[in-house]
Amino acid sequence: MRLLHLFLLLPFLSFSCRGADDDDKKPIEPKPVEEVKYDETGVLFKSYKGLVMAGYQGWFTAEGDGAGRGWHHYQKNGKFEPGFTSIDFWPDVTEYSKTYNTAFKYADGTAAKVYSPYDEESVDLHFKWMQEHDIDGVYMQRFVGEVKGESGKKHFNKVLANALKASKKYGRAISIMYDLSGSASADMDFIVKDWEELQKQFLLFDNKEYPQYLRHNGRPLLAIWGVGFNDGRKYTIADIQKLVEKLKGPTKKASILLGVPYYWRTLGNDTENSQLLHTVIKSADVIMPWAVGRYNASSYTDIAGTHLPADIAWCKTNNIDYAPLVFPGFSWGNLKNDKSLYNQIPRGKGDFLWQQVAGAKLSGAEALYVAMFDEVDEGTAIFKTKKEGETPLNADGKFVGIEPDLPSDHYLWLTGQAARWFHGESGFTAQRPVRK
Amino acid sequence: MKKTKTYISALLVAFLASACSIDNYPAPDAQLYGTFLDSETNEPVEQDIIRGSQIEFIEHGYSSETKQTMLVKNDGTYRNNLIFSNTYTITPVRGNFVPLTPQEVTVKGETQLDFKVQPYIRLKDVKIEKVGSKVVATFKLQQTVINNVRKIGLYVHPEPSVGEPMRTALAEQEINAATDPNKVYKLELDVAANSNVLKAGNQYFFRAGAIIDAPESKFNYAKAVRLGL
Repeated sequence: MRLLHLFLLLPFLSFSCRGADDDDKKPIEPKPVEEVKYDETGVLFKSYKGLVMAGYQGWFTAEGDGAGRGWHHYQKNGKFEPGFTSIDFWPDVTEYSKTYNTAFKYADGTAAKVYSPYDEESVDLHFKWMQEHDIDGVYMQRFVGEVKGESGKKHFNKVLANALKASKKYGRAISIMYDLSGSASADMDFIVKDWEELQKQFLLFDNKEYPQYLRHNGRPLLAIWGVGFNDGRKYTIADIQKLVEKLKGPTKKASILLGVPYYWRTLGNDTENSQLLHTVIKSADVIMPWAVGRYNASSYTDIAGTHLPADIAWCKTNNIDYAPLVFPGFSWGNLKNDKSLYNQIPRGKGDFLWQQVAGAKLSGAEALYVAMFDEVDEGTAIFKTKKEGETPLNADGKFVGIEPDLPSDHYLWLTGQAARWFHGESGFTAQRPVRK
Repeated sequence: MKKTKTYISALLVAFLASACSIDNYPAPDAQLYGTFLDSETNEPVEQDIIRGSQIEFIEHGYSSETKQTMLVKNDGTYRNNLIFSNTYTITPVRGNFVPLTPQEVTVKGETQLDFKVQPYIRLKDVKIEKVGSKVVATFKLQQTVINNVRKIGLYVHPEPSVGEPMRTALAEQEINAATDPNKVYKLELDVAANSNVLKAGNQYFFRAGAIIDAPESKFNYAKAVRLGL
């Protein structure tokens, strides 16, 4: 009987206990983390929208430039001499104040020269060209595989310093893009650390020091290239998800642009078939799908015609901004040691570039990413390069020149025309503009 | 013998009973319906019931992931009254609009699912009228993608579900170019020349359309118009 009483009492006892506990454990409200607010006074570029920006490799070095990296990205198998090079286009260095003799010669026997972005004056010239042609600015490529090493870090920090100075001088937009090619999962922490270092070292987010650093959605924009590709990378989409969280931090201190594969939306072809990619994309601010090599002039409309507006519609629905990539052509015969790959995607005097510019604009795009400003290894450079018939000799191979009847700044000029169209100027159509 | 008969009867009853139990699965208990709406104008996007845009749906919970399809009516609406309550992956496909991404949808009871789409082509300022012995259609084309417009057409049928795949007479014109949004296109259908299929005194439905040059694309249309000949 006593036992029965005890059982009857139990629920009341336990109830009263819980009540006492509730009083003690008043829910502790987590202190709301205040999002960082940036002073945008004097900031020149408050959004990527309306801008046409190129990628800037800046990875070349020359013997004697002080970088101590030899002929980096010019050479092949440790040599930079006829028959041994990774570049298809030869930079036109007529206007550079600092150049380097190479073992290459023109038909008349004179030495062919190159430049090094390690030199401040060369980077200055590049930004001067951007200003002359109305190109809004560049994304400075930061190759994780390179900056992990001491010499790479020294080089890319010097190029960045050169570019920050020049972009300020010429009022061009600048942003940083980590290229994750060759990275592994273990490198994600390195990126976070490197990015923190850069901000401190260069006062990147200081609106007075660098009013030209690109902002987007009220925050400085940082780009991360290489998420979702199905080419056997040693890091995962989940790694990038964590990386984005860390880079933004609880105070959401940066806006993020993600470089994704071309078929990111349908999760096919070049893209890993994982819904997580869409989740990560939704956590970013802008995406830029990699289109180099995905089409040429004859296949462009079939591939991009419906693909682009579908991408843009998806991004609008999910409140993400979208920057299509355009490129002037593609050539990597020397890099791949295969003569059939010279001019693999022909430039057509700019018709191919303009086809993509118009395609993007008419499909509703609001910004462009141009691949690339100075990429001569894969022949996508828009900066001044030598013309066909005026290139140095290259043993039994060759260099691909731009079309001989064009001025050497033709692709800079055409990119500038695209920028003017994206800035809202009228008079542009699907027809490539004619230079007067 | 009598015993054998009893056994056989018993077996028969058992067999029938088991057959009944197999048939006793619940019937489809939900309905799914909606409209394809132009994301800009919010107007229904006209379709073809034959060889038109389709909706693919995959019911979750089955390893086979079998794709089933629904058709869309000419007015841009669709309805499936025999669908099981469940979660589905639903994708409009092979349409006359910019491709959409698959979406996960929970269907329960009467479920409405509209699709906001960007039609490849909008037919604007459409007029279809009888002028003498001809039916004349005039319209402008507003294409929303950079692809060429392949063809335009005027189609006739006694039923309102008239379209390129369902017509008794037609007038078409190859375009194969990007179109100027200000240009007025004109198609004429000679009634007399089609007197074997178009009878004087009868009512017919006329519908103007245009098709974009993109993989698996379908015609975009204006609303069908009823005219007496």
